[in-house]
Amino acid sequence: MKTKINHYRKKLKMTQEELADKVAVTRQTIIALEQGKYNPSLELAHRITKALKQKHVENIFKL
Amino acid sequence: MKNKIKKQHFARYIFAFAIIIIGATLEIYNIGKEFFSFQAVGSWMIYVGFIMLAVITLQIIVNKKRIVDERMSWIAFKASRITFVLLILGAFIVMIADGIKNITLPYHLFMGYAMSYMMLVYFISYKILERYS
Repeated sequence: MKTKINHYRKKLKMTQEELADKVAVTRQTIIALEQGKYNPSLELAHRITKALKQKHVENIFKL
Repeated sequence: MKNKIKKQHFARYIFAFAIIIIGATLEIYNIGKEFFSFQAVGSWMIYVGFIMLAVITLQIIVNKKRIVDERMSWIAFKASRITFVLLILGAFIVMIADGIKNITLPYHLFMGYAMSYMMLVYFISYKILERYS
């Protein structure tokens, strides 16, 4: 799965650690998500979307 | 940050004390001197009980915030599956080795090796999966 987490995170000047804290996961999980190594659950995808101030999950995650 | 003693800490303290009490009882009544071929089981239980007490107390003092996220659970599940498969494979190897040459190993030592093997396989597979998946 392709993600734009890195793009939106940098746009908000947020570190991986800060994003990880916001969505209650470890920094390693954020790294894996950014590299497309791990596909998140729907719940986590929504939490990340909200933390990155986006309206739609599709803006961040693409198949 | 204030250190909180949770319900689970209490439960673990009670468990540790129960182990110490059972160990002491076995020692006092001389029961554990030859228990399932394991020598002095009572003193070992006291030893394990005190280690448990130390670990629980340290966890309360350090009070490190532990995050268990969905990726970690997924890795743990995969690691347990690998451990299970390798345990079966290990059992087959032991069976074959026993058929070729009789294994004369005390039961407690055999179980000790088996447990160590399981823990090692789980730990290594968890670390590999964490790094490469």
